[in-house]
Amino acid sequence: MAVASRPASRDPRPKQRGDGFQINWTAILFLLPAALLLIIFLVFPAIFTVGLSTDRGRGGEFSEFVGLRNFINLFTNDPNFLRLGFPPSGALWNNVLWVIFYTFLCVFLGLLIAVMATRVRYEAIIKAIVFLPMAIAATAIGVIWSFVYFPNPNTGLLNALLGIFGIGPVAFLGSPDTVNWALIAVGVWGSVGFATVILSAALKGISTEVLEAARVDGASERSIFFKIIIPMVSLPISVVGVTLVVNVIKLFDLIYVMTRGGPGTSSRTIAFSMYQEAFPAGRYGYGAAIAIVMLLLLVPVLIFNVRRFSSERVTA
Amino acid sequence: MSKFRLVAPFMIVMLVLTACPAGDGGTTGSTAPGGSTAPGGSDGGSGSGAEGDGSITVTSLWGGAEETAFTAVLEAFTEKTGIEADYEANRTDYATVLRTRIQGGNPPDVAIIPGIGTLRSLAREGSLISLSELGIDQASIEGNYAPGILDVGVVDDELYGIMVKLNSKATIWYSPERFEELGVEPAEDWDGLLALTEDIKAGGGTPWALGAADGWTLTDWFEITYLKMNGVEAYDALFSPDGDWTDPTVQAAIDQMLTILNEENVDGGVDGASATAFVDAVAKVFSTSPSAELYYGGGFVGGIATGADVNEELQGQEGTAIDWFPFPTIDGNGEGLVTYGGDVMAALVNDSDVKAFMEYLTTAEAGQVWAEGGTIISPIVDVDTGVYPTSLIQAEAEQVTSAEAVRFDGSDLLPAGPDLGALLQSAFRGDDTAGLLEEFQAAITTAWEEE
Repeated sequence: MAVASRPASRDPRPKQRGDGFQINWTAILFLLPAALLLIIFLVFPAIFTVGLSTDRGRGGEFSEFVGLRNFINLFTNDPNFLRLGFPPSGALWNNVLWVIFYTFLCVFLGLLIAVMATRVRYEAIIKAIVFLPMAIAATAIGVIWSFVYFPNPNTGLLNALLGIFGIGPVAFLGSPDTVNWALIAVGVWGSVGFATVILSAALKGISTEVLEAARVDGASERSIFFKIIIPMVSLPISVVGVTLVVNVIKLFDLIYVMTRGGPGTSSRTIAFSMYQEAFPAGRYGYGAAIAIVMLLLLVPVLIFNVRRFSSERVTA
Repeated sequence: MSKFRLVAPFMIVMLVLTACPAGDGGTTGSTAPGGSTAPGGSDGGSGSGAEGDGSITVTSLWGGAEETAFTAVLEAFTEKTGIEADYEANRTDYATVLRTRIQGGNPPDVAIIPGIGTLRSLAREGSLISLSELGIDQASIEGNYAPGILDVGVVDDELYGIMVKLNSKATIWYSPERFEELGVEPAEDWDGLLALTEDIKAGGGTPWALGAADGWTLTDWFEITYLKMNGVEAYDALFSPDGDWTDPTVQAAIDQMLTILNEENVDGGVDGASATAFVDAVAKVFSTSPSAELYYGGGFVGGIATGADVNEELQGQEGTAIDWFPFPTIDGNGEGLVTYGGDVMAALVNDSDVKAFMEYLTTAEAGQVWAEGGTIISPIVDVDTGVYPTSLIQAEAEQVTSAEAVRFDGSDLLPAGPDLGALLQSAFRGDDTAGLLEEFQAAITTAWEEE
């Protein structure tokens, strides 16, 4: 494994004395409460869910073993979850759109705002404004934007604005063609502040000497940005990116508050499908299978994250 | 890896320790509600329920006027039997809350069940108490209901849910006053309806309001159209596990619907209607500034149109400012056929109080009290139509009781999962329905099997 191949000097573990291992009872005692909580509330439910995903799961209990049938139905016979074709649709595809566009837009806009803000005097004000949505609960963001998108221009801000130009009214959340984009825009609005603040801090960490040296050597601002700034903040960018990807794979609150997965089922995400199948519809085994799919999608991201953390290079 | 070896035995011990009580909870959870979940219980045998504690809890998702009407029934029950009856309303996430209470081993005594698919799944997982387990003989109450109505609550030959309230879904709503101004009249057949639609347009009006953002408004359209075109046998077959959604009759019914529901005829066009919710669509016809003339929807539209959400001024103007006419026949077919929607109530605890309450619900006395509230039609035949507070509901009750055949809302009979409403929304927006129907057929077949 990767851990073993690392140089000994980096190994955070204390060297063990002697050959046989000694049980450090004090350490175990200290770990016990945390371990217990993790096992009860994390490990056991996870194992239970894996089991349930291969079961019919009537009433949320093991009732009839079905093997992989839940998974097969999920991928081959559930247009609400995945419909192949052009364009594809379904919860899984919606989540792919979210991962790509939400993550990219958050990082891109976050970096843009951070870079531009460092060059003006009222930087703190701009960053405070951009960061403000982070202080609003996701459910509240959902409610606020439901009003902004409301089709009736008397209520909906956006349609009132469009009305000035003689457009609309547009039902942003009412049409399968626009609903996912409208929701992604809300998600970006809510998260871009996070990216801005982290990336802005990273930019501050770049030594001015490096930049000045580049300028003395005659580098253009453009090449300073792409050849010096971007490489030097690449690690914070990936931290932000990975955090956003994890957030978006488990995205539920905005969908639940704003559209309930609608119109029809066109704005469902994986997490929303899981809720919908397991709880209101009572298909616990099927819902558990969706949860497992979600878990499997998260695993590579988490492995990536853990490996990077253990490489101890998080701070640029 | 020595670190892991240290912790591993420990983790296994913990896992075993934590798993044990959870396992116990699981098994008691499945038997606790009601205490008796033995399959194939005694047919019409004596009740095995325990003695009640003198109070019951009933949950539903009704609020507002519906809640007021129902609590009157509960009060009448308490007065008659001395058993306290508490009402709990969960307006949102009703199914989730109900299932969570069941899983937690703390179900309400009696609950309205949201949809027949849910009734089937709850009954099969052993969470519901059938009427025979309660000690209520199905044959003894059958005579209280119109034929076929009790069958909706039957799962695997056992009666679990009693239909307690219903509404016709064969009513088209309009304003007689405005019809007079426009010089048009209600239609009796589909051609007449098309002509009426054209006449309203010719008079400068917009004929139809549609709340297509709520998929069920379109399933209601489809069900009544399909029933009128194809009759009860085809209807029953379609909404059963043997239903064939790729049959040409399905496509024909959708096409028929769309001769009225299209860009030219609905307020706001296809895009606008797709974004309009049910209540907003009702408001388009009955608000103080109406923008359309006709709305097809269940009998409950009357209560909503004259309620606080739309236009309370209409109260007392039933028959002049608001009225309905029966959904028309199609090519001479479907005379006297009516679709209806309704709610079933089921017991989740087996004791004498619950038995008394379920029995009470089947009496004309309870139906009468409920009917006086003015929000529902009682399915009980002996309820005098004179007790309904408005002429609209009276006429609706007469439509249902005098119908040649009534059929329950088909999409409510389908298993959870595939979304007929979403399919019809796509069809309304002009997507190719043939492919969607094939896909729906595959998904619904699986859903029936998996239920």
